[in-house]
Amino acid sequence: MKRLLFRAFPFVAGLMVAGTTVSFAQDDELTLYTQRHYAFDEELQQMFTEETGIKINVVKANADELITRLQEEGENTPADLYMTADGGTLSRAAEAGLLQPIQSEKIMESVPKFLRDPDGRWVAITQRARVIVYSKDRVAPAELSTYENLADPSWRGRIAIRSSSNSYNQSLMTTIIAANGAEEAEKWAAAVRKNMARPPQGSDRDQIRAIAGGLADVAVVNTYYVGLLETSEDAKDREAAAAVKLFFPNQEGRGTHVNISGIGIVKGTKKADLARKYIEFLLSDKVQNMISEATFEYPAAKTAKWSEMQEGWGEFKADEVSMSKLGALNAEAIRMFNRAGWE
Amino acid sequence: MAITGTAEAPTSPEAQLPPRSTRKAWLRWPTDRWGFGVAVVAGLILLPLIAVLLYLGRESVEWDHLVSTVLGGYLKNTLILVLAVTATVLLMAIPPAWIVTNYDFPGRWLFSWALVLPLAIPTYVAAFVFYQGPEAAIPLLIWIRTNISIDAFFVAELVIRYGLLIVMLAAVLYPYVYLACRAAFSQQSRTVIEAARCLGDSPRKVFFGVALPMARPAIAAGTALVIMEVINDYGAVHFFGVPTLTEGIFRTWFNMGDKVSALRLAGIVMLAVAVLLVVEQLLRGRARYVEAEASSVPLVRTKLPRGRGMFAAMVCLVPLSIGFLYPVTRLVMWAWANLTSDAGVPIRAEALGRGLLLAAGTATAVTLIAAIFMYAVRLRTSATRSSLGRVAGLGYATPGAVIAVGVLVAVGAFDRLDLPWVPIISGTLFAIAFAYMVRFFAIPLQFTRAGMDRLGKPLEEASRLLGKSPMATFLKIDLPLLRGPLIAAGMLLFVDILKELPLTLILRPANFETLATTAFSLASEARLQACAVPSLVIVIAGGIGLVVMNRWMSAPSSHE
Repeated sequence: MKRLLFRAFPFVAGLMVAGTTVSFAQDDELTLYTQRHYAFDEELQQMFTEETGIKINVVKANADELITRLQEEGENTPADLYMTADGGTLSRAAEAGLLQPIQSEKIMESVPKFLRDPDGRWVAITQRARVIVYSKDRVAPAELSTYENLADPSWRGRIAIRSSSNSYNQSLMTTIIAANGAEEAEKWAAAVRKNMARPPQGSDRDQIRAIAGGLADVAVVNTYYVGLLETSEDAKDREAAAAVKLFFPNQEGRGTHVNISGIGIVKGTKKADLARKYIEFLLSDKVQNMISEATFEYPAAKTAKWSEMQEGWGEFKADEVSMSKLGALNAEAIRMFNRAGWE
Repeated sequence: MAITGTAEAPTSPEAQLPPRSTRKAWLRWPTDRWGFGVAVVAGLILLPLIAVLLYLGRESVEWDHLVSTVLGGYLKNTLILVLAVTATVLLMAIPPAWIVTNYDFPGRWLFSWALVLPLAIPTYVAAFVFYQGPEAAIPLLIWIRTNISIDAFFVAELVIRYGLLIVMLAAVLYPYVYLACRAAFSQQSRTVIEAARCLGDSPRKVFFGVALPMARPAIAAGTALVIMEVINDYGAVHFFGVPTLTEGIFRTWFNMGDKVSALRLAGIVMLAVAVLLVVEQLLRGRARYVEAEASSVPLVRTKLPRGRGMFAAMVCLVPLSIGFLYPVTRLVMWAWANLTSDAGVPIRAEALGRGLLLAAGTATAVTLIAAIFMYAVRLRTSATRSSLGRVAGLGYATPGAVIAVGVLVAVGAFDRLDLPWVPIISGTLFAIAFAYMVRFFAIPLQFTRAGMDRLGKPLEEASRLLGKSPMATFLKIDLPLLRGPLIAAGMLLFVDILKELPLTLILRPANFETLATTAFSLASEARLQACAVPSLVIVIAGGIGLVVMNRWMSAPSSHE
């Protein structure tokens, strides 16, 4: 039976060697903790390595889990950069003292003011507009106006929207609180919950599919999902995208809610210079133009171009409320969802 | 570090124990190395759990809010799922186990091992396959809405979604009960069954009156595992929009940032599972008596006539189809579509190799540690040791994310000690392998305990009387005789680690992808076709592991 032990030995030894070699980054490498799991992000990282010789080590997980990890690892963290797909979470990381000021005029000036931290600890890389999509057949555009209007009883049993555990919905809710006050916002959540065609479930894509299938008439989703479905490898996805149209709400008032993907430099890193290089790279016109073509998110840089598809969706007015304000309201938004019974 | 440290203590040559009777080992600081080893391993495993408990004392921000809003819903959903899935699992598992053990019919041999395969399918993979179901039901729902009423529509939607989730969970989890039942049925004293038959009992009466009551402990053990899996599931319930306590933990912790309340929820989960384990233990307590009487009369299977044989095959085919054939067919179709398109293979060979190596290495190491640990626990009758032996399995009752955070805290604190010559462990494979050990230690523990129960003490005592040391006895007697259960445990562990998601996501080192994380990120991009490829590889690797496990479980315990 010692044989079993001997046979096991290579495995155990291999594990140990792998364990000690994997995570120690070299001086000319960066470690990025990111929420974004897109294949396109990997292409960008490879491109950066080819251009600069700086390798990027990536840890992908839920943004809040990564905050916990950064906190527990403390000053021993290998992370140099922290990236999220939600402005609220990013500003919470900054408030928790996990990020340091980026300290680069060039970076900060390249994006509009509402897409960066007033204290310079994070900056947006992409913008993500959360809009209403509607059935081409069953909804007249004249029926649509604002997010607030979705609380109207005429929408009973017609709305598809995902769970309140989703950060896109949470930050949408924070803008409703910021615009209309807590009391109105909570009433809104309860009324929208009553109007849902089904209890919240699935992803933004599933909401679009629900419209295409005839289950719901309108849905609240991020614009790029429409683009992703339209260009999907799966024919069913393309049919779903063809069944809906996009509507930018609140154009008469504060504008459509825009969330961000953003990035910050982790406090305590000794590689802030390299980290800034990567942020500059992400905000360069070349990369920004690629983003709008590949993921259909709106670029954050002032000088970047929209993709043809985005041009087709049309110009819109964005709600320019500050992300740090939204981050502070996030917990309140979740409590409201809970009280309103929005699962 | 954790792993080597714990393995060292028991492997050092160690012999002279004082005679058992002269010493009371109750609650005494371990004085021999075996006892020390037990304490070290149990301590290491408990460390992350204790680290988590330390948070409980702090002030919670959201607890009252949770109690007044969502807690009731979480509890209700959890309870519904546990009860309904358990009932469905019993229906899916017990009849095939009975039929396969006692009767001959077309396909029996195939079913006897294929029925285990659904365990290879992670619940989150099954979820994205089965979620096509509610979509297919949309026309029916629309019909109900237009022709009956909108309220009937809401009820129908709920019934379809919950029903599908329940059937799906049951269909991938029933093998736990199936395996336990089959083992129990085939070990049951043939003489008792024969006696019942001779006394003129119908097969039905033999089953309900004799076989089923005798298998109760095994059913309880299997069901306990199913319930723990249901309570701990995160992927499937999230997908189907049925928030349970575990999803509540994630929401409270990560969305609301309230660790303390999240850990109180985790406390409820752990308490529920602890109660479950006690009940299971009570039921199992009586089993020893039954097993001790197991006779060696060889098992003779009755050949079923044609019509009944077909029926028997159908009984086995239904759970197998829902839990394995259907999802695998869908995965194969999607994977085929992906591989024949120009989208490119979505798995990197490096990720594949590393993930498999990590799972295999950790499974081997943890199984051996568990065997040595269990041997040490049983070396002397002591309340402390046997309760440490129980407690070491507690990680199985704890959600993966909670263990991950416990490990982060414990390992982070260790790193801050800044010991000379000790590298930083945070964010390495050590941390993640350690977390797997904490999470899954119960599996090899259970297998080893059951195996040692069956062996009894005679051989070991003979070896000790002949002057062999405990270590020599372990290596020469116990380890070879336990080969079957150990390989079976190692394989199940391998499959579980391969499927593991939440813990891996939180703890993994940079650039580290496993099959599970690859499948997850593709699924969250809703790229079904691409996602099917890594999912299918998990299912195939897991399936092979399970077939090997099955062979060693049904093999006689000591053939050479």
